[in-house]
Amino acid sequence: MKTVIHDLGKEQNEKILASTDRVVCADGRYAPCQGCFKCWTKHPASCAMKDVLHQACRVLGTSDDLTIITENRYGSYSQAVKNILDRSIATSTPFSTYRKGQMHHTLRYGKRNRLHLIVYGSLTDAEKNTWQLMAERNAINMGFREYSITFCADAEEAGRTA
Amino acid sequence: MMEKTVLINCSPKQKLSVSGFLMKCAGVLIRGKKEYFHLRTPADYPAILQALKGAGKVVFVTPLYVDSIPSHMLPFMQEMEELCRGNGLRLKVYVIANNGFIEGKQNEPLMQVMENFCARSGLTWCGGIGIGGGVMLNVERIMITVMFGLMLLNVLLSAVQGGDVLDAVLSFGKSLLGLVILACGIIAFGIRLAVHINRGTDAGKKYTRIMLPSFVFIAFADIFFIIVSVLQGGIFRGWLSRFQPDAGCSIITENGK
Repeated sequence: MKTVIHDLGKEQNEKILASTDRVVCADGRYAPCQGCFKCWTKHPASCAMKDVLHQACRVLGTSDDLTIITENRYGSYSQAVKNILDRSIATSTPFSTYRKGQMHHTLRYGKRNRLHLIVYGSLTDAEKNTWQLMAERNAINMGFREYSITFCADAEEAGRTA
Repeated sequence: MMEKTVLINCSPKQKLSVSGFLMKCAGVLIRGKKEYFHLRTPADYPAILQALKGAGKVVFVTPLYVDSIPSHMLPFMQEMEELCRGNGLRLKVYVIANNGFIEGKQNEPLMQVMENFCARSGLTWCGGIGIGGGVMLNVERIMITVMFGLMLLNVLLSAVQGGDVLDAVLSFGKSLLGLVILACGIIAFGIRLAVHINRGTDAGKKYTRIMLPSFVFIAFADIFFIIVSVLQGGIFRGWLSRFQPDAGCSIITENGK
């Protein structure tokens, strides 16, 4: 299953769907993670908050190929996108293991294929370097075999790249 | 006169957060005027931004969420960027990051994000510390409180029964020493960071951890989550199952639907 998460606005959904199986529009109309870990310990793979991100981890976990389109924020994701990632930690389980020589959580959905980040907006060289590290760390953390990153000048170019 | 330091606990948790505990510990070591804040919602922004106008230094104490800062920090940082650029504020920024994995180095992307934020906002990045296994500090502070209570009880019983009061105190001292040794890296780097904050100098980026072999830490973490999952019932509700999204999962737009 191929999934695209984007913060380009709902009007881009149909266009992006031409090249993927499903689209998640990060519109920011949901709360940030509260750090309760109940998606691990109380009701597995479901968030305690019953808004549209209630089952976000299931969507991400069942995506063999995941593309994330995000505006740059200091070398990290936009808030709308980062909310989704923070509230999807149950793509892994509470158990721990080693990946690439470091401690990580075991993967609820097993290893997945590819993580592709498309980052748009104003970017400094330092922020591009941070993004390279972020992509690498996210791929290890989320259990993707491969990762890649594309930088775009603006949202329009990012939409075309997807 | 020393510049005011603003300390911000950036954990979204209301209580018992490691970041809150670390902020209080740092506050003990930092001299001069200090103000403490908890950043959770936009309602917290005005008071913090107001305090920053009269400060010389700011210390962000934050957990690591998915290799970066928690999402609720981002809109605050954007408002802080506007405030600092608009008013020419030249705050010195320090960061204390902690994560649930044992390696402190896993905080590196978060540190870089904060450094990039400083560059965008015209602030002075002064580094900080990244702590691995920070959750153990919560366990330690609970254990110390319980052990201290038990020691007082033992001392009282020994005094009443004519026993050796010193035995109970020594026993507590030994246990306390063990816990301090586990946290010795965090304590040492914490003191070093506080010295830099007090001098207003660049602390660089330093990474430390709870002094346990990683396989022992992993065993403790697994046992902790098993116990909590039994108590909260998750272990009986498809604890490790590969759940699929419900058909009506409203966040997805799918082909053909």
